[in-house]
Amino acid sequence: MASKPKSRWADDEADAALEAQRKKEKEEKKRLKAEKARKLEAERKAREAAAASTSQQAGDDPDRGPPAKRRRLSPERDNHDGDDHGDDDHRDDDNEAPRAHAPSSETTAADPSNLLRFEGGTFGRSRSVENYDKLNDIEEGTYGWVSRAKDVATGQVVALKRLKMDPKDRSGVPVTGLREIQILKDCNHGNVVKLLEVVVGDDASKVDSIFLVLEFLEHDLKSILEDMPSPFLASEVKTLLRQLASGLAYLHDHFILHRDLKTSNLLLNNRGRLKIADFGMARYVSDPPPANLTPLVVTLWYRAPELLLGETRYGAAVDMWSVGCVFGELLTREPLLQGRNEVDQLARVFELCGTPSDDAWPGFRRLPHARGLKLPRGPPRRRSAPRSPSSPPPARPCSARSSPSTRPAAPPPARCSSTTTFARTRGPSPRPCSRPSRARPARSGGDGGRPPRRRRAARR
Amino acid sequence: MAHMTNPLATPDQLFQRRSLGALPMELQDIIFFSTQCLTQAAGLLLQLPQSVTAQANVLLARYWLVESMMAHEFSDVSAATLYLVAKLSSHPVSPRDVAYIYTYLLSSSSAFFHDPSSRPPPPPPPPFGSESTTTATASSFSSDKSNTPYLSPSGYQAFHARLLRLEGLVLAALGFDTHVALPHPLAVTYLQALDFFSFRRDGSKEAGRRALAARAVAYLNAALLSPQALYLTHQPPALAVAAMYSAARDVGAKMPECEWWEVFDVDREELGFLVVGMRSVEGWGRKMRKDMKEAMRGRERGMLTRKDVEGELRRRGLVAGDEVGNGSKMAVVDAAEEEAARRLDEKMAEMASAA
Ligand SMILES: Nc1ncnc2c1ncn2[C@@H]1O[C@H](COP(=O)(O)OP(=O)(O)OP(=O)(O)O)[C@@H](O)[C@H]1O
Ligand SMILES: [Mg+2]
Repeated sequence: MASKPKSRWADDEADAALEAQRKKEKEEKKRLKAEKARKLEAERKAREAAAASTSQQAGDDPDRGPPAKRRRLSPERDNHDGDDHGDDDHRDDDNEAPRAHAPSSETTAADPSNLLRFEGGTFGRSRSVENYDKLNDIEEGTYGWVSRAKDVATGQVVALKRLKMDPKDRSGVPVTGLREIQILKDCNHGNVVKLLEVVVGDDASKVDSIFLVLEFLEHDLKSILEDMPSPFLASEVKTLLRQLASGLAYLHDHFILHRDLKTSNLLLNNRGRLKIADFGMARYVSDPPPANLTPLVVTLWYRAPELLLGETRYGAAVDMWSVGCVFGELLTREPLLQGRNEVDQLARVFELCGTPSDDAWPGFRRLPHARGLKLPRGPPRRRSAPRSPSSPPPARPCSARSSPSTRPAAPPPARCSSTTTFARTRGPSPRPCSRPSRARPARSGGDGGRPPRRRRAARR
Repeated sequence: MAHMTNPLATPDQLFQRRSLGALPMELQDIIFFSTQCLTQAAGLLLQLPQSVTAQANVLLARYWLVESMMAHEFSDVSAATLYLVAKLSSHPVSPRDVAYIYTYLLSSSSAFFHDPSSRPPPPPPPPFGSESTTTATASSFSSDKSNTPYLSPSGYQAFHARLLRLEGLVLAALGFDTHVALPHPLAVTYLQALDFFSFRRDGSKEAGRRALAARAVAYLNAALLSPQALYLTHQPPALAVAAMYSAARDVGAKMPECEWWEVFDVDREELGFLVVGMRSVEGWGRKMRKDMKEAMRGRERGMLTRKDVEGELRRRGLVAGDEVGNGSKMAVVDAAEEEAARRLDEKMAEMASAA
């Protein structure tokens, strides 16, 4: 693939220049950080003064707003945002740690009984996209365009994902985009891509363009697999899968179904850190899951059999199926089950896993699309399970079990740090790093078996 | 933890609302109150669960800490926030239904038009989490079906355009954070968790507990309408505990001697503040009704509009920019407040430049 002519957005020179600038930028960053800290301190002082005077003012009107002095109403978000950008080396599965902290000594001092403080952050106006300089386009997806950009003020490189807004859509901002934003805002995990902010077009009188500002990762698994001259080592597959499982366990623990896991939605940075991205199909679910979810989710090749059979009450197992498909793909560099349509996809699933029996999967015959189905009788004609050429093969990924109830769940977040493990096992970094970052040709839409997505319909 | 936390207002945002150039506070209060009532009425008619309407109330309150109240027509902001929250819920509504319901509510055939403020605090909604809506209450609005207003195609087009434009503007003003955690389910759960409420009045413990829960939820709903905007300054567990405490006092439930609120991570000071705030809503509601009638001099009834407020400002000489006050006591208080605010601004500017 590297032999292809200069790609649409190949940007080697800019990358090289960027590389050369890195030192400079780092220093600049340091300086900005120090300055920011100084500003924050000044701001804090001013705010305290303001709060003090407001509380005096409010003193004569007890019914109105609370005296601001009583307690700090807002955690100063910037305090822990500051060291949050990009440097994955020393931040690992950074779950909720920063949120639970008492915001400052001044509050804790007044708090004798050690009560838990609930921190929900603040709210405020979106900034303009003009705060970013576009560097190059990365990808055009179904729901948006993604480009690489640089924060004008800090120099930080980010990914800008523009939400597609259909002016003919009579229902306004797409609910999928709003869910994607809300879910990403709520997430905080080392293996889930971070949403830094949401910015809008410059026209203050209307909002016709919306951009998600995401931390930038150099690759996605699909393009890496396409470009790799030789497959991943077993140890590399293992560390990738561990990170995927850890991120997914976090999502499932927080009642989020991703519903579109596939290699092109898994990002990888040059240090081998994997992050789950593209929450355009994701949603919160209750436990047990509601009974009216749409089965029209997940790209066909990664879609679990219960979805293919039209199940509307499904859960975390559908994501685990996709994990199994990704696992297979990591081993062979080929998507595991490349059905031509939904019926063909189901046939391939049963070919790989065997036709489910009523014992192994009670009730599957009652699913909407199972009735018209002609199932092959007799023992499964198993085709050989995917195997890594470099090592003894794992058996058929056990997450690729057709019955959703016996499919394993994502394990609880791995306790040991994934980066240390990664360093020990020497992950895939050498290969990705040897290619110019992000220098892969833009794809010609060959995303394979994309499901007919219902667009603006209120998705359940 | 997201289900128990909300983003809160910053001191700056709260301060801005009372600062120089802002509307006089008591006008802000009337606008806030009547618009939140309008949202509640629309939620009922659209058959939305109270949990959805309540979230719209909270988003609207947040929006008005970021954007000036006078930037858009109040009823449009109400419609846009309700539409947005419903869209994200499992009860989406169509722009057409929203247009129809708001047209109706603002028309002279609706009960809301004749007495927009007669109802708060609203009747206790159905038990939280139940998806059923209070159709009984809804029907009281639409008694006069024969007289439903006509919405012309061009009228609908215009409403639709305003609705979608405002949806975008509200989202941008809130940084696209639409998360609202409500205290209602917490209050219900906490009450279930605590078995220490035994009742003096009648022997039936179960009936007592239900009365208690309903009363607590009513407090939480009333607080949604109050411009104290307690939902913007306190987290759901604290609101829930304060509502439980107030309700227990009302129905005569016996509370334990210990500091039970600490079990829910609420301290005495915050609880005390919130209880005072919540219990003041009722008396304050009466005053509000009176103020509202005054503010709408010249137009007997209906939803308060920007035009009404501009008229009132002109009467007070606050718009023309000539000397403040027409002898009204409020105006004098406002002037003093503004003076204080100006001094504070200067002080802050000084400190910022010194640092
Ligand atoms: N944070 C990021 N950093 C780098 N590249 C990214 C980032 N986010 C997305 N991309 C790239 O853009 C592509 C499309 O992004 P994403 O999947 O989020 O958008 P989408 O429009 O929902 O796509 P699709 O509908 O095709 O799944 C990804 O496959 C990846 O290559
Ligand atoms: Mg994608």
